[in-house]
Amino acid sequence: MPIRFFLAVLASFCITSAAFAQTSLKLPETVKVDPAALNAEPICDPKISATWRKAQVIEGVKIQESHLCSPDNPALIAAAVKGTNNISMATLMETDLSPDAIIKTDDLDGDGDPDRIIIKLEVMELNGPSPDFEGLIPTFDIAPGIQPGAWVFAPKASGMSTENFESVRANSLTRLPSPVIRVEQGDIVQIVLENTHYLPHTIHLHGVDHPYTHSDKHVEGGDGVPQTSEMFLMPGEQRTYEFRPRQTGTMLYHCHVQTHTHLAMGLVGMIIVEENRPNNWLQTLNVGAGHVRHSSVAIQEEFDQEYDLHYHAMDKELHEIIQKYNDPRLIARDMNRLYDITDSTEDYFTLNGLSFPYTLRESLIIPEPDQKIKLRVLNSASEMLALHTHGHKATITHYDGIEHNPIAQITRDVYGLAAAQRIDLTLDTTNDGLHSYGEGIWLFHDHREKGITNDGMNPGGNVSAIVYQSYLNDLGLPKGQGIDISKYFTQEFHQRKLPIWQDLDDVGTLGAAGGQTGLDPATRTALFNFLYGLLAGLVLYLLIAKRQQTKQAIAQAFAKLKGSKGSKEND
Amino acid sequence: MTKHIIGILIAGALALSAQAYAKSDADTTEHEDHSKHEMDHDVHDMDHGDHSDHVMDHGDHSDHSGMVHGDDHMMDDPPSEHAEHGSTDEHTAHHGDHHHHHDDGHIMDHEGGMIMGQNFDELPSSCDSISEEIEITVRAGRKYAKKFPGTAFAFDKQEWRIKPCAKVTWHFVNEDNVRHQFMMHGLPRYLYHLGMFHLESTGPRTISGTMIFPASDETYLVHCDISQHMEKGMKAQVVVGNGGEELTSIPGLTPYAFPDTYIAEDLPQISDKDDDDSLMKQTTDFFSENSPISGMMFFGLLAGLLGAPLISRLRLVKKKRDDAQ
Repeated sequence: MPIRFFLAVLASFCITSAAFAQTSLKLPETVKVDPAALNAEPICDPKISATWRKAQVIEGVKIQESHLCSPDNPALIAAAVKGTNNISMATLMETDLSPDAIIKTDDLDGDGDPDRIIIKLEVMELNGPSPDFEGLIPTFDIAPGIQPGAWVFAPKASGMSTENFESVRANSLTRLPSPVIRVEQGDIVQIVLENTHYLPHTIHLHGVDHPYTHSDKHVEGGDGVPQTSEMFLMPGEQRTYEFRPRQTGTMLYHCHVQTHTHLAMGLVGMIIVEENRPNNWLQTLNVGAGHVRHSSVAIQEEFDQEYDLHYHAMDKELHEIIQKYNDPRLIARDMNRLYDITDSTEDYFTLNGLSFPYTLRESLIIPEPDQKIKLRVLNSASEMLALHTHGHKATITHYDGIEHNPIAQITRDVYGLAAAQRIDLTLDTTNDGLHSYGEGIWLFHDHREKGITNDGMNPGGNVSAIVYQSYLNDLGLPKGQGIDISKYFTQEFHQRKLPIWQDLDDVGTLGAAGGQTGLDPATRTALFNFLYGLLAGLVLYLLIAKRQQTKQAIAQAFAKLKGSKGSKEND
Repeated sequence: MTKHIIGILIAGALALSAQAYAKSDADTTEHEDHSKHEMDHDVHDMDHGDHSDHVMDHGDHSDHSGMVHGDDHMMDDPPSEHAEHGSTDEHTAHHGDHHHHHDDGHIMDHEGGMIMGQNFDELPSSCDSISEEIEITVRAGRKYAKKFPGTAFAFDKQEWRIKPCAKVTWHFVNEDNVRHQFMMHGLPRYLYHLGMFHLESTGPRTISGTMIFPASDETYLVHCDISQHMEKGMKAQVVVGNGGEELTSIPGLTPYAFPDTYIAEDLPQISDKDDDDSLMKQTTDFFSENSPISGMMFFGLLAGLLGAPLISRLRLVKKKRDDAQ
């Protein structure tokens, strides 16, 4: 009986070891993420009407066609051109603007356009915390599901900070980046800063001709540096910055309170001084930057299109601070004293406030062949930007708003911008092998490779593209090689939960590997060792327990052996 | 002896709790004041001259023809017509629900002052008649946040107690140089679009609006919806009748649902510098540096050791007196 048991163990050992040997030959299967399991969002914002893309005239303002999937609101453009004081209430109601947001009056030089411009800006927080629920409010995604806390200068709005009562998404004016401001050379401009935020702020006009202070003190605003030209603008207070710019160019404005954090938080925008021309009604604000659908007279004379390109980068540790606390004192403590910018790393890279894939929605440059396109570029990140255009070599015409000697202007394909620098580029789409290599979908992006990631995940960052109209589909998106881009418009992609190469071929050669099936090698070895031991133990037991039988058996065996030998001998 | 010690402990505990409740006591008395509207009336009467200029009554609309939207829908459109208005409005077609400007009962003036959900005479279905007509002045500004550490903006009051079916005219006085809002939520939707009554003032001026509360016991949220204004303190409640579900994070009234964690920092204090020579400082320092017993504990111990015999002696004296008597 025990011998039978022993034999049974031995047999099962042989079978299992054979089975183990078989399974260990095969590696885990490829696991494919089913698109149906993803939180996908529409590639184009469904709330935006297709009529916004058409060339149109609103309030007498000519608005250029936009081929983008998320074009600017034409009513907002009309309000920005005419001023909120010179449009009908119906048009104003199409924007979220306060009726006193942009006031344009007094044609001082009699050339047919207003020369006294008042622009009211508020300071708004995006993706801030709430002591009442766990989420953020009002939300602004720079890419699907990516919501860094941020501050912006926003046009003075009316009503709720969210889209509506049921939504936590920020209203259309409250967004990154701070809006692009356009003023005319010689205008009397007043930027009225209304500090709706809970921390002190100011405005510093970087590169725009402005007085240090106003000697008659009719307005308080000066250089925007607290403690030199003025004091901190505290929450609930208002300050007017008045200036009459004598020089043109692409400049910037930013908060000069704790600049090392406040600028990075988003309190920075482009300000452009345009040449003084007759009937020069400027688009005073370009909310969200990007395509300028109502360019100045001078730009229209020389160029077919104009784009404002505002590059920025964020260290997520800084932007998380305002989400960690509700108490402004704790936020001030972390921002002013605990956060160390010298240890910071850039994590998010935005073009016009958004990262890929949202750059596809509103930051494409859409030329036709043989066009001249004006690109105004600002780098408001604290590190260098190495902007590269595929398929095109553009000419740098202006550095920091000042025209470069025309015969010495440089045409190249990587444009370096240090922090706060601006360049004006002329993109010539003549297919001559130099300025353009022909029609296509040509990327333009930061060539520091981290710049094309969202927190290290590629594709992401400030990648956008020069997409010729013939390469654009009905939605306003580039017609690629048929690869489905909808996966980029899921939160899971940016949470690193979507293997980016799973669909490259039918079998998913480069998809995600599944986990180990059955036993891992270490356990298997341990199990075998145990079985060996068990077998050895059983053998020993049998030898000892049945020693009489064994002896007999051996004796018999010997006897038989001898017997047989003997019988052989006997034979 | 043990009785004495217990007595001392109880006395100590009482003293501590008294200190803790002192602030909330003060708050409660203040709230009682709030519920008396007479005080508000007085304030309002003084102000009335001021805001008559700003209040957008019907007479004003003709003057601002271009600036007023939807005034004819202001009061008595039945809900069905509201829907029609929304769908036929060509502006809304572009935006979907981006803009509440198209909501009925919405008036905006040329400076951005706004009144939404005004209701002068339509009775909520739960009311037979208007119980009382009152006027309340609400002030909004940074200065009212001073009494609530850790906030940036606030209303002058955090709670108003209102009789059911009361008709209230709110005078919203913005005392800052930025926008503020008085936005009330949770009203019946058949009377108030999205259940909201809303006053918005773009700067230092007054906006007034009238509305009628339903009969039910309810607590209504009032806040400023500008980004982070409510979160940073500009939040209050209107308690109708006995009130309803408690709201969170009303400054001084209700706890935060998600409070911050506070850890005291080791910051230099004036007392550290000035008191270096004092005997108290030297003693406490000595003990905190050299002994597991903290300095103040030493003083407590001393007080207990010396005090106990004194108290028992007092008792003895008293006993003797009693005996003598």
